[in-house]
Amino acid sequence: MATQHRRETAAGIIPNGSLAVALALAAMIVGAAALLPLVQSSGSTATSGQIGRLQQEREDWRARLQEQEVLVAQLSSLAHIENEARTRLKMVEPETVRYIRVPAAAPVPNQIPSRYLPQPTAPSDAGKSLWDEILDGIPVP
Amino acid sequence: MAKKLRNKRWNTVTWRVWAVVGVIAFGAVVVTLRLVQLQIIEHQKYSEQARNTHIARETISDRRGALLDRNGYPLAASQDTYDLMVERGRWLNPDIARAQSTELSRITGVPAREMIETVTDVDVYEVPVARGLVYDQAEAVRGLGYPGVRLIEGSRRVYPEGNLAATLLGFVGQDGVGLTGLESDLDSVLVGSSGLITYETDGLGELLSIGDRTETPAQAGSNVVLTIDRYIQSIAERELQKTIEAHKASGGSVIVVRPETGEILAIAVRPSVDMTKGDAANSNPDLFRNRAVTDGYEPGSVFKLFTAAAALDLGLVDPSTSWYDSGALSFGEWTIRNWDLSSNGTQSVSQILIKSLNTGAAWLADLCGPDNFYSYIANFGFGAVTNSGLGGEAPGQVRSPTTDPTGWATVDLATNSFGQGIRATPLQVAMGVAAIANDGMLMKPQFVRQIVAANATESIQSEQVRQVIKSDTARTMLDMMGAVTDTISSQYIDVPGYRVGGKTGTANVTDDNGGYIPDTYIASFAGVAPLDDPEIAVLVKIDKPKGVPWGSAVAAPVFSAIANKALPYLGVAPTEAALVQDVQ
Repeated sequence: MATQHRRETAAGIIPNGSLAVALALAAMIVGAAALLPLVQSSGSTATSGQIGRLQQEREDWRARLQEQEVLVAQLSSLAHIENEARTRLKMVEPETVRYIRVPAAAPVPNQIPSRYLPQPTAPSDAGKSLWDEILDGIPVP
Repeated sequence: MAKKLRNKRWNTVTWRVWAVVGVIAFGAVVVTLRLVQLQIIEHQKYSEQARNTHIARETISDRRGALLDRNGYPLAASQDTYDLMVERGRWLNPDIARAQSTELSRITGVPAREMIETVTDVDVYEVPVARGLVYDQAEAVRGLGYPGVRLIEGSRRVYPEGNLAATLLGFVGQDGVGLTGLESDLDSVLVGSSGLITYETDGLGELLSIGDRTETPAQAGSNVVLTIDRYIQSIAERELQKTIEAHKASGGSVIVVRPETGEILAIAVRPSVDMTKGDAANSNPDLFRNRAVTDGYEPGSVFKLFTAAAALDLGLVDPSTSWYDSGALSFGEWTIRNWDLSSNGTQSVSQILIKSLNTGAAWLADLCGPDNFYSYIANFGFGAVTNSGLGGEAPGQVRSPTTDPTGWATVDLATNSFGQGIRATPLQVAMGVAAIANDGMLMKPQFVRQIVAANATESIQSEQVRQVIKSDTARTMLDMMGAVTDTISSQYIDVPGYRVGGKTGTANVTDDNGGYIPDTYIASFAGVAPLDDPEIAVLVKIDKPKGVPWGSAVAAPVFSAIANKALPYLGVAPTEAALVQDVQ
């Protein structure tokens, strides 16, 4: 009696053709579902790494820019200009100063270098969106 | 029998099953209640704990703003730097230490032996072996990829113009906070605001690349455009230094003001700290003091300008009003005499200034009376801070019948009239002279022109303080100042192409007991140029010169040198046509 019951049960769980396909599909779906977070995680990690690299690159450029700014400042310092004038150009201070009136406009005073001025901001309104135009088209009492 | 046995077994099984179910159910209830407690009742507490464990916060800061001269040339700016740190444990192996330090030495310039000693001499986890590396050095260190060797970002102040205007600019500490000068006074403007980065970490505290990350960016400090002109400042400093060395003086100050606006074009002070040295922080604190603003002195005969201006403005005298100088003038039990003990007979008011007669100044003050005299002195700005915005500004000291009814004596009126017994800062004297050059209008001294923030620029407007003397009086005073300089030898004042005016001063120096130090003087000269429409007012003060102490011989040549270079530089056309050629 017990043997027959086991046999019946075994016969009940033997898969036929369509069930096997369904199980295979289910296994694939479960597998894919399990793989999805892995793919997402992998993509996120890659993007995060790329952001990190870009940020580092930005910092590097910023640091290089600063170095150049300091170099420009040092090259345009009075001491450097005077040294260049005296040593390279062999200039000397005039013994007497003669003033000449010339028919020309006075030079424009120096402007503050742009690197020390506020950065220009992009215009915030880049044009109306489709939704804005649709909403604008609705007559409002 | 068998049925009874089966029923008994079944009852036993049922009881056991129910017992198990009961235990499981009880456990489930306990767990559920605990979950309710953790996730609902004490949700806030535990979520914060979790956040604190897994969320790291990092405060970030952007660059400190630069201090620029009036034309935008940086006088002080910030540069990113890097400190090189080494884990001590890594260098306990002598072979590794030797190999790595040799390579690092090649990049940083710090001797390898010194690095190894620095690391092995202390018992801490990580030691800085080189500080203040620049970007290229940092890149080279990174390229080596040594484990246990890392870089910490920082910044340092750089001074492209060297030590120019050092006491005015001041000093920034290693923590990036301004400690003296404008760096301290404008610290809140220069420093900007810090930002915050928050990110998730794993159990070891390392950044989770797939975790949440938010960043509130730091705001860079504002750049500050000063009124200082680096060229005029450099002339002032160079001439001051040259004069101090030539006369073996203990120090001095030079201030160049634009009378119309009150803008300070130059403020040179000696002695001064050397900011270009790396160890400026260890310098004598006295060297950081801007003595032109913090230290009062007895201005001496330069002060006769203000006495004469008061008497002229009250209509009591004019430049040609005559007065008899007997060489002595009594005030109570005191007698006032001239600096050279001379008696000059009949003199005009102009000659009081030209010959710098103490008796004449005392006579003018006496004519004005104490109330009027001290009222004018106060209106010229003496006895009160100028509100320049610079830290540690001294108000000076003026005793009057009102401020010190018991201590003040009549003779004080006489001595004050020629600048003794009264204390003023060089900045106050310079602004007073600038008021005469500005049609009698006293301006507030201005050191800042613009504050340039990331998204806006604020322009600082010049401020009028008050009309001290009438415009006509101011014009008359300028003519008298021109008459004074006309009598000074061209050996001392020679500004070809321009007419200039001024007044010399040679004042006694007080000691700590209130008396005067014998044979010790302060030589000074206050001048304006050009005389017709002054573009600059200059105060030169030389402390304790050795040898000849006279203001005309010691201080006036400094004014002359500054005027000679500053006027053409400022685009002021020469007034004497003989020196001008026309080009068609």
